[in-house]
Amino acid sequence: MGVTVLQPYPLPEGKSGAYIIDHLSKRLLSLGATHAGQFLVDCETFISTPQHGGAPSRAVHVLHNSEYPASTFSIIDNGTGKQVSLVADNIFDLLMLKMTATFASKKQTKIESRGARFEYGDFVIKLGSVTMMEHFKGILIEIEYKSCVILSYCWEMIREMLQGFLGMQVPKDYPNYFTTQTIMNAMGQQQLLHAKHNDLYEPMDTVKQYLEQFTNYRKHVNVHVGGAAGVSVQPIHMPPSSIVGVGVGMGRP
Amino acid sequence: MDKLNSTLTAVKSLRSNVRQCFEHLADGTDGEAAEESRNKFVHEFQDKFGAINSQLREVEQLINALQVPQTAYSLGNTAYLALETAQDRHTLYPQLVNSYKWIDKVHDHSFLAFNNLNQNTLRRSYNYCSQKRPRLPFSSFNNDPDHIDKLLSEINTPPHTSYRVFRPFGSNAVAIVTISNVLKAAIVFKGVLIEWVTVKGYDEPLEQDDLWAESRYEVFRKVQEHAHSAMLHFFSPTLPDLAVKSYVTWLNSHIKLFLEPCKRCGKYIASGLPPTWRDLRTLEPFHEECRNC
Repeated sequence: MGVTVLQPYPLPEGKSGAYIIDHLSKRLLSLGATHAGQFLVDCETFISTPQHGGAPSRAVHVLHNSEYPASTFSIIDNGTGKQVSLVADNIFDLLMLKMTATFASKKQTKIESRGARFEYGDFVIKLGSVTMMEHFKGILIEIEYKSCVILSYCWEMIREMLQGFLGMQVPKDYPNYFTTQTIMNAMGQQQLLHAKHNDLYEPMDTVKQYLEQFTNYRKHVNVHVGGAAGVSVQPIHMPPSSIVGVGVGMGRP
Repeated sequence: MDKLNSTLTAVKSLRSNVRQCFEHLADGTDGEAAEESRNKFVHEFQDKFGAINSQLREVEQLINALQVPQTAYSLGNTAYLALETAQDRHTLYPQLVNSYKWIDKVHDHSFLAFNNLNQNTLRRSYNYCSQKRPRLPFSSFNNDPDHIDKLLSEINTPPHTSYRVFRPFGSNAVAIVTISNVLKAAIVFKGVLIEWVTVKGYDEPLEQDDLWAESRYEVFRKVQEHAHSAMLHFFSPTLPDLAVKSYVTWLNSHIKLFLEPCKRCGKYIASGLPPTWRDLRTLEPFHEECRNC
């Protein structure tokens, strides 16, 4: 387990996702990387049923990562940007099924990223195509440096690697997820979260990055997300019945 | 015979031209922005490509002009090999040639290795050292436990490095060094001499009952390799305390293992690894490939 950075790959005009994936995997293979299986990250969102007294609705995101096949990750989001995360055994999925009275699944927002997995030295590179309800949404590139546990130590290495096979400039700053972020707390005030780039990296951080990207894709319904890197999304608080495809106030760890 | 000779020469020059062309391609252009150098590059490539084409045609013509020899060439005793009638022995000849080549290579390499090993002075046997310097008291391997404790506490450690000393093998100490959040290393002492070093990643377990397993990460396996060669470099039975101190200083320079680019090529990654080698004197980072060139 090491530092992982998740990057959306901007789709050029007139190129299909399959073409880009094929192109990138050819580049990786000619760089000397080896093909090492497949991967899958999926995310399902449950929304609490409206209750009397107008309590704010909550969203529970349940994610699976094939890199950690025995775990189910869940993130509770109360709409203010504050998130409570939990790692549980796979049986957690069955528990969620029992809770249909309080949490209803939003099947139409089930989203996943799947594709090929490559290894190069201690790097693991995953080229994932994101699909929601069988609709292609975009390409997410995950790069993990297994032997380092702190982003600020190895960001320059990861950046050089990314630039090497993507063939484009990657900004020098740390990715959005790792920098200081503002969230809205329960009182409606702005609150600064401390930057994560000097923290020990945990598998949950990977999952949270996926959730952040998935949320962006869900918001851009029917829009090709090009260059969504660095797009900061303001937390939105909406009742669950408002718009299909809009996650409720999530996207902010 | 003349025709054959000239054909062979043509083939040779074709090969060297192709090689030059590829070298030219591999070198690439100087700068990304300069349109002029790019044009020049493309023109040069086209020229070379044209030359290859014309040479290829020439070779083809020469080959067509060759005649099938009336009598077989005399190949000496090896000709009998080809006369083998059994189907399954037909492949023996190329295999024989190959194994001859390999034996030649093994000969050369072992000769070089023998010379090298004879020259170097990295012998760690105590008898050898004490014979050379009989007057010096040689006691680095049976020091008392307090001395090692004192020595390790004397090393002025940077704040990011921590030491944990314990003695699973009687009086001999094992120090587990944790350098920031980058790596862990177990240094096994015999007296004051360093006997073995194991390097592992920060998130890998390194406990006293498992000191010998290798890291699961390529980069730390490489660092361990280098740590062993440094251990031999700093080895000094006559000044053991100094040897340990300089070794630990060298090991501490790995704090920036992932942070510093290679001093020679200026890149972070070479064949999937960061600069794993630290210069023994200057502590500068180098890739394994860059350090000798």
